[in-house]
Amino acid sequence: MGKRNKVVQIVILAFIVVLGGSAIGAALFKSEEVPVVGSRVPDIKLQQLNGEVRTLSDLKGKAVVLNFWGSWCEPCKREMPALQSAYDQWKNKGVDIIGVNYGEDELVVNNFVSQMGVHFPMWLDRKKTASKAFGIRPLPTTFFVNPDGKVHAIKLGEVTAEELDTYIKQMIGS
Amino acid sequence: MVLTSFQNTKCECGHQNAVGTVLCEACGKPLYDDDSNHSILEMRYDGVARKSQKASPGLIDSVWNFFSSVKIAVILIVITLVGSSLGTIYPQESQFVNVDASQYYKTTYGTLGHIYYLLGLSHTYESWWFITLLVMIGSSLVICSLDRVLPLYRALHKQKVRKHDQFLKRQRIVYEHELTTDTEQWLSDTEQALRKKRYRITKNDGALMAEKNRFSRWGPYINHIGLIIFLLAVLARSIPGWHMEYYAAFPQGEPRPIPDTPYYLQNDHFTVEYYSDKEMPEQFVKEGRVMPKLFETKATLFRCVSNCDDPVLEPKLEQVTKYDIRVNDPFEYDGILAYQYDFDLTPKLISVKPMLKDQKTGQSFGSFDVKMSNTETQYTVGPYTLELREKYLDFALDEKGTPMTKSQEPNAPAFVFVIKGPNLPESGEPYMYFPLQKDKVRFQEEAINRDIMKKLRIEVASMNDVSISESTSYLNIRKDTAMPFVWVGATISMIGLVMGFYWQHRRIWIRIEHQQLLLGAHTNKNWFGLRNEVARILQATQLEVDAKAIDRGGNKV
Repeated sequence: MGKRNKVVQIVILAFIVVLGGSAIGAALFKSEEVPVVGSRVPDIKLQQLNGEVRTLSDLKGKAVVLNFWGSWCEPCKREMPALQSAYDQWKNKGVDIIGVNYGEDELVVNNFVSQMGVHFPMWLDRKKTASKAFGIRPLPTTFFVNPDGKVHAIKLGEVTAEELDTYIKQMIGS
Repeated sequence: MVLTSFQNTKCECGHQNAVGTVLCEACGKPLYDDDSNHSILEMRYDGVARKSQKASPGLIDSVWNFFSSVKIAVILIVITLVGSSLGTIYPQESQFVNVDASQYYKTTYGTLGHIYYLLGLSHTYESWWFITLLVMIGSSLVICSLDRVLPLYRALHKQKVRKHDQFLKRQRIVYEHELTTDTEQWLSDTEQALRKKRYRITKNDGALMAEKNRFSRWGPYINHIGLIIFLLAVLARSIPGWHMEYYAAFPQGEPRPIPDTPYYLQNDHFTVEYYSDKEMPEQFVKEGRVMPKLFETKATLFRCVSNCDDPVLEPKLEQVTKYDIRVNDPFEYDGILAYQYDFDLTPKLISVKPMLKDQKTGQSFGSFDVKMSNTETQYTVGPYTLELREKYLDFALDEKGTPMTKSQEPNAPAFVFVIKGPNLPESGEPYMYFPLQKDKVRFQEEAINRDIMKKLRIEVASMNDVSISESTSYLNIRKDTAMPFVWVGATISMIGLVMGFYWQHRRIWIRIEHQQLLLGAHTNKNWFGLRNEVARILQATQLEVDAKAIDRGGNKV
């Protein structure tokens, strides 16, 4: 009987460790619903303006600047030249700069891009799924993503040329 | 009670008891008291050793012993109570529809609020320490129960009918009497009286044991099983996809996806009705009160069958069912619940279907459908082709005079078409079209399109050609897969409580030796009931006893 007791004890304690452990673990390492600094970015799959469908995970190994914008948003317009010049400066040095448009028609984005005279890659978030996954509240919002896919910094509102320069240099460690 | 491994646990009746046994498992003789002690016996768990009472505990035993302590359980419950109350100081994050918690507590409640947020108390009930407490209470519940129920079950399962004199004399209800009649006759009369009271009877060699409602002893443990199921169900909510709750806007006519499900929900029509003055008390009418009578969202549920996650293509939807959602009458399907929450009656333009007309003759070449979102860029109307070149949903001019959109809402839509066809230049001619009458005037459509409007005109014939979303309904979407388990747990727990509360486990032992009757009786609660029952049974055998006189415990119940 002593032996059976022991087995019952061990089985029950094992159950508690497994069930309780997983419950506590889930609470402790709860994955953030939206990415914050240091957390892994969600993979997003969007159509590039006038082009094919792209995914964020394809860019792994490169530092990525994701700029969420809309054509009605004034600060989004103001920061476009800074993003374009950063794109020109870093495009061959392992840094990708991508604009993510918040749910507007391709036509509108095309017009905006030619009006602003920018030509860095633009992804169309037609169903606003990517914006939702990134928890975008104000526009513009810029995510700086390290080559390992973790968020380096988040800039809410207009991003300046200096900020772009500083964060990009930090990300590629030069 | 002090336990040492050197204790002699063998009873004089020859039974070898486990360490920690208070009353001999077989004959019930008190093992530690000398015979001169007449105090009422401690009958808890029938005097058997709890499982955790071991001579020399190892590591596993120590953990087991920790959780088997009722004292520890009470401490855990108190800590959890205090912890839960912390979560009620300020509203929890989960109660908000859409706020940035890192700012909210600071701005609303000041520094204290910010500290509250930083301590993680803004999500107390999801925090690791709160879950840890719940897990510990759960463990304590399981181990405390097993530690007691298994030995108790064994003790009650193999009860010896003939108990030790000491065991009987030291019960709370005791009756001793010198019988003057035939003992056999008396015993069979008593047996009959006991059976009438629905006692189960076992006899052995001049000794008798009557017992009833033993099942009520399992009440607390069944209650605990229910609580454990309840607790597991609550913890199961953290399984991905088991629990969801959010508030969302459903503009009329636009199917909206329900995350992590293949379903889309659409608001077909929203109605709000108010009580008329006639239906309201006079007082309310005087006060000018407005009383809503009905909030109703006519909703359609769709299932996405293809292109569900495609970034470009529209999802292909199939209708599943329809339902009229009202306050307190949610829509329910496949575990998803949708409650009416709020509404917004601001109309929103969805599409217009204008005609292309010849300015001079007024002849129509046909109509075309211009949607506000996902607008098509090519249209063919009669001999003409229209190409959409520019689109502004909320048209305005910036400081440099360039056209722009102020928002993504179709408050003042404007479309620039390049029209090609008969009597128009090869490269086409631009036409800036404002669907809304107020914008035509405000932005001077006639002046902008002076040349082309001499030949062609884009206009809607009537309001029938304008499609408008009249309302946005806000719904609260919930999914709680664990809910049936919560109910099962609560039901089992209730059954256990009822078993333990409304019935009592009563036992009566009788021994007759040389005309000398010795009766002892025990119940786990309601001594008042038992002593009266014993007195009445004795009365049935012509023994007049005062119910109070046989109860050594005074008037305690």
